[in-house]
Amino acid sequence: MQKDFVVFENVYKRYKMGEITINAANGVNFSINEGEFAVVVGLSGAGKTTVLNILGGIDSCDEGRIVVGGKDISHLGSKDLASYRRYDIGFVFQFYNLIPNLTAKENVELATQICKDHMDASDALNSVGLHDRKNNFPSQLSGGEQQRVSIARALAKKPKLLLCDEPTGALDYNTGKNILKLLQTKCKEDGMTVVLITHNSAITPMADRVINMRSGKVISNIVNENPLPIEKIEW
Amino acid sequence: MKALTKNIFREIKNTKSRFFSILAIIALSTGFFSGVKASSPSMIETGRSYITDKNLMDIRLVSTVGFDDDDIKAIKEMEDTVDVMPGYSADLIRTENNIDSVIKVLSLPEKTDTNNKLINETILIDGRFPENDGECVIEDYFARTKGFGIGKEIIFNEKIQGNNTTDIIKQLNYKIVGIVNTPLFFTYQRGSTTVGDGTISFFIMLPSDQFVTERYTNVYVTTKASDPDIDPLTDEYKDIIKSQKDDYKLLADERIKVFNETTLADAKKELADAEKEFKEKKQEAEEKLADGEKKLHDGEQEMADKLSEGYKKIADAEKELNDGKEQLADGQKKYADGIEEAKNKLADAQTQYNDGLTKYTKGKLEYDTEISKAQAQLDKAQSEFDIQYSLFFGTTKPDAENKLNLMKTAIDICNEAIDKAEKRINELETAIEKYTEPPEEIDELHALIDEYREKINEYQKQYNSGIQQLSDGEQKLNEAKAQLDEAHNTFEQKKAEGLAKLTDAQIQLDTAKSQLDIGKLEYETALTTGMLEMQAAQTKISEGEKELEKGKAELENQKAEGLKQLKEAREKLATGKAEAKEKLGDAENKLNDAKDKIESLNDADWYIFERDDNPGYSGLVEDAQRVDNVAAVFPVFFLLIAALVCLTTMSRMVEERRTEIGTLKALGYSNFKIVSKYLVYSAVASVIGSAVGAVAGIFTLPFIILDTYSMMYCLPASKLVIDTSSLALSAGTGILCTCTVSVITCLGELRQKPASLMRPKAPKPGKRILLEYITPLWNNMNFTSKVTFRNIFRYKARFLMTVIGVAGCTALIIGGLGLKDSLSVIAPLQYEEITIFDQIYALKNEGTSQQQAYLMSQFHADKRFSETALVSQNWTTVSYNNDNNKINLRYIIAEKHDESEKFFILRDRITHEKVALDDSGIIINERLSQVTGITKGEMLNMTINDVPYSFKVSGITENYAGNYIYMTPSFYEENTGKKLKYNLVYTQLTEEGKKDERDIANDWMKKDEILTVSLIHEQLEGILSTLDSLDVIVLVLVICAAMLAVVVLYNLTNINISERVREIATIKVLGFYNMETANYIYRENIILTLTGALIGLPLGNVFVSFVVEAIQMDMVMFPKYVTPISFFYGFALTILFSLFVNFIMFFRMKKISMVESLKSIE
Repeated sequence: MQKDFVVFENVYKRYKMGEITINAANGVNFSINEGEFAVVVGLSGAGKTTVLNILGGIDSCDEGRIVVGGKDISHLGSKDLASYRRYDIGFVFQFYNLIPNLTAKENVELATQICKDHMDASDALNSVGLHDRKNNFPSQLSGGEQQRVSIARALAKKPKLLLCDEPTGALDYNTGKNILKLLQTKCKEDGMTVVLITHNSAITPMADRVINMRSGKVISNIVNENPLPIEKIEW
Repeated sequence: MKALTKNIFREIKNTKSRFFSILAIIALSTGFFSGVKASSPSMIETGRSYITDKNLMDIRLVSTVGFDDDDIKAIKEMEDTVDVMPGYSADLIRTENNIDSVIKVLSLPEKTDTNNKLINETILIDGRFPENDGECVIEDYFARTKGFGIGKEIIFNEKIQGNNTTDIIKQLNYKIVGIVNTPLFFTYQRGSTTVGDGTISFFIMLPSDQFVTERYTNVYVTTKASDPDIDPLTDEYKDIIKSQKDDYKLLADERIKVFNETTLADAKKELADAEKEFKEKKQEAEEKLADGEKKLHDGEQEMADKLSEGYKKIADAEKELNDGKEQLADGQKKYADGIEEAKNKLADAQTQYNDGLTKYTKGKLEYDTEISKAQAQLDKAQSEFDIQYSLFFGTTKPDAENKLNLMKTAIDICNEAIDKAEKRINELETAIEKYTEPPEEIDELHALIDEYREKINEYQKQYNSGIQQLSDGEQKLNEAKAQLDEAHNTFEQKKAEGLAKLTDAQIQLDTAKSQLDIGKLEYETALTTGMLEMQAAQTKISEGEKELEKGKAELENQKAEGLKQLKEAREKLATGKAEAKEKLGDAENKLNDAKDKIESLNDADWYIFERDDNPGYSGLVEDAQRVDNVAAVFPVFFLLIAALVCLTTMSRMVEERRTEIGTLKALGYSNFKIVSKYLVYSAVASVIGSAVGAVAGIFTLPFIILDTYSMMYCLPASKLVIDTSSLALSAGTGILCTCTVSVITCLGELRQKPASLMRPKAPKPGKRILLEYITPLWNNMNFTSKVTFRNIFRYKARFLMTVIGVAGCTALIIGGLGLKDSLSVIAPLQYEEITIFDQIYALKNEGTSQQQAYLMSQFHADKRFSETALVSQNWTTVSYNNDNNKINLRYIIAEKHDESEKFFILRDRITHEKVALDDSGIIINERLSQVTGITKGEMLNMTINDVPYSFKVSGITENYAGNYIYMTPSFYEENTGKKLKYNLVYTQLTEEGKKDERDIANDWMKKDEILTVSLIHEQLEGILSTLDSLDVIVLVLVICAAMLAVVVLYNLTNINISERVREIATIKVLGFYNMETANYIYRENIILTLTGALIGLPLGNVFVSFVVEAIQMDMVMFPKYVTPISFFYGFALTILFSLFVNFIMFFRMKKISMVESLKSIE
């Protein structure tokens, strides 16, 4: 278990909207250990999505240092960032972002085909419990099932880091719970480092680490010694 | 501003690329359509205003006998006539650099008392109008294209078809002082002529006073048809003119009658008088001639007699002379013989004398020698004796006596010595007894006495012999004396003897000598005498000869003189004859001229021409029509594609704004308000687009096209006519299409409940495509290929739109290029494959068949022709559609119709099978069949020389330029009952001959039988140059098509990308590199473009047929022909544009932010 697997040091991100400059990340500092299930919470506009974007290589920071698995990604060019995304990051979107024109299996294959070391698409789908729906198109799947495909797509790449952007945001309570359970299982059983963003602080007890953000800053970074299984959490 | 209005403008601002692509497409199609559509009316208007402004004549009258003022007056008085302007025209020849060219010389329009306005007013382009004699103005087209302008001088040939040029115009030299255009000539065409090679190279204009012709050659008339209310380019005008022409025809008949009764009658009377006079003169001259001839004959006889007499005399003299000569020869011979004999004799005598002389000389010599010898011996003996004598007595005897004395002395001495010695001895012997000792001295004295004794003996002996010798010598001397005396006597005797002999010989010799001398003298005398005699004879003979020569010379002189006199007489007669003949000939010529004139006057005719007969006049309308036809096809197609693309774009936009529509609806906005947003959006885009396009199109395309045509036309600056109806049509179509589409799509969306509208539209479900069921293929496909194919078939509408749009662009490009291909193939097809003869010679008069046969034999004899054929070619009118429509065309009857394929090919256009021409019917060309609707086996109605016939069509042949009917001579004669007359000769040149085509034409034009020559080659060049002008139009088409292609492809790709922004962002998040992302999208684009371009190929082919069909004319069949290279260009250009668009789109795709993927679905 590597300590400080993910490190943010004084990360700034500014957006210019006309004459106003918004500090979306205003000196963010935190670290996450390998294998941890980290939850970033905060209200809308607290800067958690910015942090996730920077961490996922989707966006770049203006200032500061970000280290993932010993690699500084804060100054990578667009091509290196693409490689970083390709090999190190698994991304789970709030709206699943499946390609509607591809079956579940093909959506997973979309990710695996560009990775050297990857899981078999079927295995990945099996591991998220979609044994029977592999050849279905997204429109033929429920939201939870789509999110499972999305998770399978992220996991199939064998990423170092699994990033989830409000994965339950578009799901109903129970389905959301199931998804969270799946993520927790993946983290605990496979040792996957998971960073999850949510505005729902109710789910923080299930996390190994809870990072609380407000106004582009980390206001607390608490390690939860005794995370609860998701079943025991109600909100 | 209301929120909704703001929304509209913000929408436009936010979707600039969409807005502008709609705008651009509408602008392009509207601009193209209105621009091309405006070209044709602009061309026509330019021509029309030219006609009206310059007061172009409506009717042009030409008379074979010219017009006089009465004619002009009569024309002026016609009811239809508005103005009349008489004028002159002549076709003259100029030879420069050995090339003949025909120049049309026209009179400048001038104001006369019969017209209020100038008719055919000329436009001065440069310089000034002529002010002095010897100045002219030249046409603009020639000056412009050949650089033959102001300051150049034109020098006409002195003769023109046997007439003096100065009988037509004042001078031969004219200096160009200005450049003009006249409405009489719209185009570069100058019409044909009967002089030179039949083509007019350019025209010049002179003031009327430069013409010296008595009667006007042309009369220009404006009629009531040129009323400003009547459009001169319509059928209405044509109909009016047609009816007016009939009226003028009536007037013409009337005026011809008047002419025949006055001018012609006068001329005839004059002719009769002249004929009478001529006859009289002829007779007189003939009589005189006969007289002269008789005199000459007598003279000849007399001279012959005299001559024979003279010759006889000469012959006699010659005989005498010859006799004399003979005698002389004999005498000469005899003389020679005598001389010879005498010579011989003389020679003998000489020889004898010489011998005698020799002998004598020899004898004398011998005698002299002997004498001298004997004398010498004698002398010698005498001298020897003398010597011996003197020696003996002088020397020897005394010497001997001295010696003898000496000897005696010596003997005495010795005896003394002996005595002495003996005395001693005695003494001594006495002494001996005294002395017993010295005995020796005694001994010595004894010895000495002995010695002396001995010596005395010796001397005694010698003395005795000397005495002996002396007596011997004395004896010998006495003997010699005796001998000498004897010899002397003998010598004297011999000498006397010899002398006697010599004298005898001398005497003999002298006698011979004198005899010889006498002989010699005799011989010489004889020689001289003979010589003299002979010389005398010779002199006589030469005298005789001289006399003879003299006589001969005299005779010759007399003969020459006689001959000279005769010759002179003959010459005089000949001159007289020639003079008489010339005079008669002149008179006869004059008479014939007068006859011809009267004959031509007899055939006096007026030709009535209208504007359509002006060369190139109707071409303008035809060209305008062609441009209009192109405009009818191309832009419509263009507009269709534009509408299609707008439709796609707008429907896509409405779909994108689904949530917004739902929200607005939920907020309670009326459907109208909601729809109005999209309506306004599309209306603004399309109205602005139409406006921009219309302005750009109208102010560029007509000028480009008109400029192109103005190269061929001699028109003033182009007039722009905005065809409002087509402008409205094109703008309207664009606006309507775009707006209707947006309204319909929007309304379609609005039919749904707001709630469902607010929910994101369920993405179109993924579907298995047909290809997946072909498992082996599908499973082996690359993953991205699978995605690509599934995407292609998922959005069928987009697929269709793209393919149709791209195919349309390809087709448009091919259409433009194919149009050019089709047009440019006409000339080579027509003139290299169908009408393969090179020249047409029009015969002046059809003549008898023998005359024609003779002419044809001349044609055959000209080795520059490889083939020649007699052809009858005449105009006929074909009526069709129940006689409602008529078409004028020519029928061709070749004498050797079975060999017609040497001149023109009758074949099926598609199969190229020969169409047989036989007596079963006529063959018509394909276009005629298309126009009339009459096909093989049907009957064609045609009128030949006002007689209607109906012939069966037995075949249809390929032909492009012009309409023709072909038949056999026997078919013609059988069916019309008329004798066929041939009026043309078709010729084909050899390879050699082709180089001097023009020279050959000029050579033949000099023949009286030939009226005109048409060179197919030059016709071809004319047609080709016309087609060149289409290049610009084709270029315009291709550029517009290319622009459309770019815009369409851009728009479609743009839609494709904006529809899939989320998808693109997602795969970027998944770690796709930029190129991989681009390929993910482009693969589809490329396949769609390729599919579209491929479909565009046959579509283009069809499109070309469509365009070609649209521009077909009654007289010309445009073949549809697209070269492979045009297909290639169409395809390649589309692909190129597509790649270009993809290249631009790559940057847009790169810009798509991955953050898009995190956004919720709208």
